[in-house]
Amino acid sequence: MTDIIKRDGSRQPFDIQRIIKAVACAMNDAGLRDDDFVASVAESVRHACEEKETVDIYDVQSRVENIMMRSRYKNAARCYIEFRRTRDLERESRNTLNQEILGIINQDNEQILNENANKDAKIIPTQRDLLAGVVARYYARQHILPRNVCEAHDKGDIHFHDLDYSPFFPMFNCMLIDLEGMLSNGFKLGNAEIETPKSILTATAITAQIIAQVSSHIYGGTSINEIDRIHAPYVRKTYDKHLAEGVRWIGEEEKAKAYAMERTEKDCFDAYQALEYEINTLHTANGQTPFVTFGFGLGTSWEERLVQTSILKNRIRGLGKNNKTPVFPKLVFAIRKGVNFSKDDPNYDIKQLALECASKRMYPDILNYDKLVEVTGSFKTPMGCRSFLGAYEENGELIHDGRNNLGVVSLNLPRIALESHGDEQRFWELLEDRLSVAKDALMCRIHRLDNVTASVAPILYVEGACGVRLKPTDKVSHIFKNGRASISLGFIGIHETINALYGNKEDGQHIYDNEQLREKGLAIVQRLRSAVEEWKKETGYGFSLYSTPSESLCDRFCRLDEKEFGVVPGVTDKGYYTNSFHLDVEKKVTPYDKVDFEMEYPHHASGGFICYGEFPNMQHNTQALENVWDYTYDKVPYYGTNTPIDSCYSCGYEGEFDATARGFECPSCKNRDSSKMSVTRRVCGYLGQPNSRPFIKGKQEEVTRRVKHL
Amino acid sequence: MNYHQYYPIDVVNGEGTRCTLFVSGCEHKCVGCHNASTIKPDSGHPYTLELEEQILKDLGDPRIIRNGLSLSGGDPLYPGNLEAVGRLARRVKETYPDKNIWMWTGYVREELTPAQWDVVAYVDVLVDGPYIQAERDITQPWKGSRNQRILRREAGDLSL
Repeated sequence: MTDIIKRDGSRQPFDIQRIIKAVACAMNDAGLRDDDFVASVAESVRHACEEKETVDIYDVQSRVENIMMRSRYKNAARCYIEFRRTRDLERESRNTLNQEILGIINQDNEQILNENANKDAKIIPTQRDLLAGVVARYYARQHILPRNVCEAHDKGDIHFHDLDYSPFFPMFNCMLIDLEGMLSNGFKLGNAEIETPKSILTATAITAQIIAQVSSHIYGGTSINEIDRIHAPYVRKTYDKHLAEGVRWIGEEEKAKAYAMERTEKDCFDAYQALEYEINTLHTANGQTPFVTFGFGLGTSWEERLVQTSILKNRIRGLGKNNKTPVFPKLVFAIRKGVNFSKDDPNYDIKQLALECASKRMYPDILNYDKLVEVTGSFKTPMGCRSFLGAYEENGELIHDGRNNLGVVSLNLPRIALESHGDEQRFWELLEDRLSVAKDALMCRIHRLDNVTASVAPILYVEGACGVRLKPTDKVSHIFKNGRASISLGFIGIHETINALYGNKEDGQHIYDNEQLREKGLAIVQRLRSAVEEWKKETGYGFSLYSTPSESLCDRFCRLDEKEFGVVPGVTDKGYYTNSFHLDVEKKVTPYDKVDFEMEYPHHASGGFICYGEFPNMQHNTQALENVWDYTYDKVPYYGTNTPIDSCYSCGYEGEFDATARGFECPSCKNRDSSKMSVTRRVCGYLGQPNSRPFIKGKQEEVTRRVKHL
Repeated sequence: MNYHQYYPIDVVNGEGTRCTLFVSGCEHKCVGCHNASTIKPDSGHPYTLELEEQILKDLGDPRIIRNGLSLSGGDPLYPGNLEAVGRLARRVKETYPDKNIWMWTGYVREELTPAQWDVVAYVDVLVDGPYIQAERDITQPWKGSRNQRILRREAGDLSL
């Protein structure tokens, strides 16, 4: 008696009826009927198998295929093969689905568990989110994405970001909340009607509520643009209230004013402390602390200055009894000549506070006003960590708040270079093919929102976060058109692309040291920009070019390419691809030289970018940090300060922990207990705390290899 | 005079962005010295006029602002170094009156010789005193042990 070894390894006795049924089905699909032929096929398979103790199921199938292909019923043979192939694919993806779900249950799938350093995969709500993500990704790949897009994504030619949310759910990426409109016009939140706040304490409390709601309806970052300007009226209301009280009890006007000022300052500090704690205790429906960014710094009124200093002083103080460095909200401080750039400017003191804060907490990153306007057309805070909107007007007025980004699809540039084998012409040809797939992918994102109504996310579309008040039954797609929203093509690994195309570290020159190679890097990004400009013209959508941070993508692309092309020195040998256009993290140059190297790129990749430098401890030398910040002013729009700010709760050491194979370790007392330390590293545009939420392997490797620039 | 190391851009030896020169030669021979290899006066490389010109040029770099020069070692006030260090400090101050000079010495201010004072006359911030292992405290900026002092001309610490 012959046993069949099935796909899962189990055994089952050979059953000729199953073969008869399958062949008859195939005949039927081809519109044929010949029972004798069916029986003869089954009989000859049985005959071939009967001598053996066990036969593999694949073996049985190929025998059937071979016999049918040799017969006169070639069409039936094709039907049989097609049917088997479809079944195999289905089975395989069901298996992946099962494996991914098992990975969450068993906590052993690093790809899923550590994909996002902001998610704590150990806890149940996050696991529910991850599970939803696995299913959403599965369904989108099977039924929503065009076949070519899905294949390109699976192979790693492109990366369709955030597949765990979009396109399964009609969600978009990141946004600037129209907080001003929501606070001044009121809105409905859950079961409550919210009116305009009457104090700064209420205003910040409501702001936290709005952020919690909004970030449960989108999958990327939530930013508040110019929070100092938006909250200023509520600081004034608080002052007026205290002044009235002061006049009533003190009488004397000067004294009453001083009283009101002091009380308002205290309220304001408390309000932003509460807001910071709120955000760090929030857990959104997406299973994480919301990605929140506050932009501020341009206001010069007493109220606006008070908001700015309150935010910075709270950040300098830190969270909890250990004064831990918070990683959210991300702070982005705007610097502008005439406001806070030089000693004579009215807010120069706040720039000094921002420098102190950056030296102790890494944030704020800075936005250089004039350069940002030059590069992106107008001033605005980045959405999330680095996504920038272009200029857009309604009724002759620039609008930023309420706008959003629809999502990103990134190109694997190093792969194209590897496939070209040093042939530049071939590289450009392949790039065109990949661009066309990427465009299909981005259009798929856009069209997913075509027939969606406002009722899917009332907070965004009905209650004002997107700057509109639609009816629940209204379609939302029009607010994404004509450049109001951006949709981004991303790219990664200019450094590895150049190495793959023109030699590598061992036998070639570093892109940094070779003017020609620098030009080549820029030329690639220029072509990407012209492509998105063409798409914009053709479709009317706000296509933009985005410098992908690739928190997890740096690992995925490199891993897939290493599998296909082996260990290629300077390309796949490090376990990660370099962030967008950034200088190789191992190249030792001054921060000044790094800025010069990177400064041309944001002009082309104006839909998203950030530059940063690696500094030693600067807490006692903010003057030197200011020198670098000032240097960036007319060179790069957006700059971050990476500096060692780890602290050990056991021995009090402050500085940089060692990354060892057994986790982070205090260099002073060798403490490795992750609950007794604060370790903060820049992940991408955001900071992360890898001791409590590990980075994905490739990112950890990249972080470890970073050299100090001073 | 010999020197060990010259950093044209430095942010960890004094406030601001600096040019830093580590000279050779020191008679204190502190236990646990951070730069023990610089103690012998004939260690390192000869200090040349070319290097001096380079330092002056770097300090005036229009692209990357330098707030001043830092002199460390070794000991810049080691008797054999006084002539060269004095000339460098004088030229820096004459060329760039707005840039400051920081200096690390193992001598204490109260015991400086007149010849040493002639050099210190150009110095804006003097970190003085030997490194004493028992007094080690690296949580304080710019110094290694608690006995060392950060003396600032601005605050009147360096007037005779």
